[in-house]
Amino acid sequence: MEFNRRQGLQGLLGVAAGGTLGAATAGREAAAQTRAETLRQVMGGVINSLDPTTPGGTRENFGLAMNIYDRLASFGRKPGEGGMTFDMDNIRGELAERIDRSPDGLTLTFHIRQGATWHDGTPVTAADVKWSLDRAVSARSLAPPQLSSGSLTSPEQFKVVGERQVEVKLPRPDRLALGNLCIPFAMMINSTLAKRHATADDPWAMNWLKENTAAGGAYIVETNRPGQQVVLRRNDAWKNGEGGTPPFFRRVILQTVPEASTRASLVERGDADLAIDLAASDVPAIESRGRVKVVSIPQTNAFQTIVFNTQMAPFDNPKVRQALAAALPYEAMFQAAQFGRGRILFGARWAEVPDAAFPRTMPLNLDIDRAKALLAEAGHPNGFATTFTFANSMTAFAEPMAALIKESLARIGVEVTVQKMPDAQISTMVVERRLPFFTDIGSAWLPAPDYFMRTYFTGTHRWNYSGWNNPEVAALTQTARFETDPAKYEAAVKRMINLVAENVPMAMVWQANQDAVMAKDISGYTYWFHRQADFRDLKRG
Amino acid sequence: MRALRAVGRRVGRRLVASAPALLGVVVFTFLLMRVLPGDPAVFFASGPNAGQEEIDELRRVLGLDRPIPVQLAHYLYDVGTGNLGRSLTTGQPVLRDLTERLPASLELTVTALILALGLALPLGILAALRPGSLLDHGVRLVCSLGVCVPTFVSGLLLIYVFYVVLGIAPDPTGRLDIFAASPPDITGFLLVDFLLVGDMEGWRAAAAQLVLPAATMALFTLAPLARMTRASMLAVLGSDFVRTAKSIGLGRGRVVLVYALRNALLPVITITGIVFSTMLGANVLVEKVFSWPGVGSYALDALLGSDYAPVQGFVLLMASAFVIVNLVIDTLYGIADPRVSIE
Repeated sequence: MEFNRRQGLQGLLGVAAGGTLGAATAGREAAAQTRAETLRQVMGGVINSLDPTTPGGTRENFGLAMNIYDRLASFGRKPGEGGMTFDMDNIRGELAERIDRSPDGLTLTFHIRQGATWHDGTPVTAADVKWSLDRAVSARSLAPPQLSSGSLTSPEQFKVVGERQVEVKLPRPDRLALGNLCIPFAMMINSTLAKRHATADDPWAMNWLKENTAAGGAYIVETNRPGQQVVLRRNDAWKNGEGGTPPFFRRVILQTVPEASTRASLVERGDADLAIDLAASDVPAIESRGRVKVVSIPQTNAFQTIVFNTQMAPFDNPKVRQALAAALPYEAMFQAAQFGRGRILFGARWAEVPDAAFPRTMPLNLDIDRAKALLAEAGHPNGFATTFTFANSMTAFAEPMAALIKESLARIGVEVTVQKMPDAQISTMVVERRLPFFTDIGSAWLPAPDYFMRTYFTGTHRWNYSGWNNPEVAALTQTARFETDPAKYEAAVKRMINLVAENVPMAMVWQANQDAVMAKDISGYTYWFHRQADFRDLKRG
Repeated sequence: MRALRAVGRRVGRRLVASAPALLGVVVFTFLLMRVLPGDPAVFFASGPNAGQEEIDELRRVLGLDRPIPVQLAHYLYDVGTGNLGRSLTTGQPVLRDLTERLPASLELTVTALILALGLALPLGILAALRPGSLLDHGVRLVCSLGVCVPTFVSGLLLIYVFYVVLGIAPDPTGRLDIFAASPPDITGFLLVDFLLVGDMEGWRAAAAQLVLPAATMALFTLAPLARMTRASMLAVLGSDFVRTAKSIGLGRGRVVLVYALRNALLPVITITGIVFSTMLGANVLVEKVFSWPGVGSYALDALLGSDYAPVQGFVLLMASAFVIVNLVIDTLYGIADPRVSIE
């Protein structure tokens, strides 16, 4: 489907056809009427594919896909610190009206909602669901490695068992299987439409779905100018939401505005309704002027971390890591980099972790005397020289962090050179384990403690930032993953947390707030695991 | 007719002569992108749980697993057949991105240049007519300020004053109000397209969006143009033929505007050409501040992401633009001074 800009915008304004001049003026009147029912979000990033599984896709793609496509199930929402957040422990059906789980936890049966249709009006069939799940585990895309974290790996696991019933078989009772069906990658696709655009080289229509949709979700893409803006129209037939009603906003405009201060001006002037990626330093001032509403919610499934490369001397020595972790100025960094906004992960005083929540506050405290003693024990009584690196895109908060780290580590004789690098370069260096000491951000879509541990503390991939290789943690993540006994699960997680606290492969320092700045009359904003706005939650008035 | 044919021949010869330079630029950029640190496959395979397998897959899709000479041969073949590759950043073919964005950049740059020339020429002439006067110092001050203040500062300042405080400028996001209907895509230049369909209200809306970014750029380019006009006019005004013209009693306006200015224009045209080609690619900051969907910000985003194809395509585009602008400038020389003929 070729999107014609003019047709699209005429549609946006509710004008069917007409002369050029007539359409333009009539359009402007219509625009005034629909402004209240239109949501305009301005963002710094870009949408570069309508398919969230496209390799090289941006984070913004994920949020968009949640609104265009449905999944079989969805996380619930719950009130949390600062506002509403997603609730992973409360999963409801989305395209499925009922989900049956066998007592042994090995079979999930999904019953497709009666009367559910795709955007083109054709009914959703079990074959569509099967094709969509097959695609998610088979296509060369971002999806298979993620879905494998829920033991979803092969098309053989998915079986059509009725006109509207699909069965998912699991080799083990994986605790993250259902969660993995709630994420953007597990989207449900109109297979009849998609297959029409599949080719022998591209059996899953990866190319076609980048610029087109075959969806049935709450919003329909009206125009898409990649890298600039996407305009969405409400799907009035959509009944798969929380209350079974379509969302409030009839139109959503998602526009890329690269300059953060321009985004702030647009929202403050009332020309835009929502921005979730303003500069943290601007937010307190915006809040104090009081022209807009600021909803600040800690990103509970993400963290800022200071990483020691455990495969590189001198950081291969746990004593050195403990010493440096005791010399980091945590509170000062949190104030300078985040203006004290967010949830801290440092400052705990326990020796044995009291419960199995993770990420959590860890026993990370500034204690120069202890740091000096540890460094001497490690054989570096006079310190050493090292480099601290951060990415260009993190400059706003990493630069003050780096300066404070340099100053504080100088007190124990560690001389730090600060290095700033382009993002593409730093990601290459991290993968090749060539950076000794750096800061990065991690996040997990499915914030189960064992999933965090598995992703960020085991394996050879990039996300094991510190390159830590602890056999006990590696083994524990594998058993915890399939553990059905809550007590044993908790014990395994606690053991891993204690090992991390003792070995400090990295110092997770805080969970920054997501500051959603919006017009005063907008309500319902919810913080989601994909860290993007879900327009289905929002309403005006 | 013969003159026209001569011009045609000259243009043809120039274009052929520039082919090796363009080829050199293509090869050089290609190699340069590959020696830069930063692996696009690693950067873009950054989805949750993406591991080495995904990186290798992306590398294979991008053709980065092949030896560099093979990659280069493929790339040259693609460029020769009009395929500039696909951008990872926007997910679109580079050629489509550039053809969509180039009119935006051109419209902005041309407007800014007209604005700048409209101010710089009179200011430069006036300053040259009264060197050392209060006016001359005033012009120097304005020029220095224009150059000293970086464009993102002046841009943000203009936005703050005219949009945030006074509220008379439209919201500084792109070429057209987001709620307005865009004209049919005829030339890609909004001002031209609106005129062609006779939508004056739309034309005014597009022009209003253009005022602030164009003014920001014009402020920056004012200095070289005005200073060059002044210097060149000073030299010409002191020359023999101007004294002669004055002595035989020709009107002051005629002497300044016809005899002196025409002779003083050569260096100004040169500078204008350079300023134009530079601003076309280098107004990244203006494009960023005003969310202008131009080629400069496009190339910068691609460069930061080690996204090879768009950067290479952009450099090729800029090189071609330079060739064309130089050609136009040389032709203009001939008009300004019939004695000049560049072969």
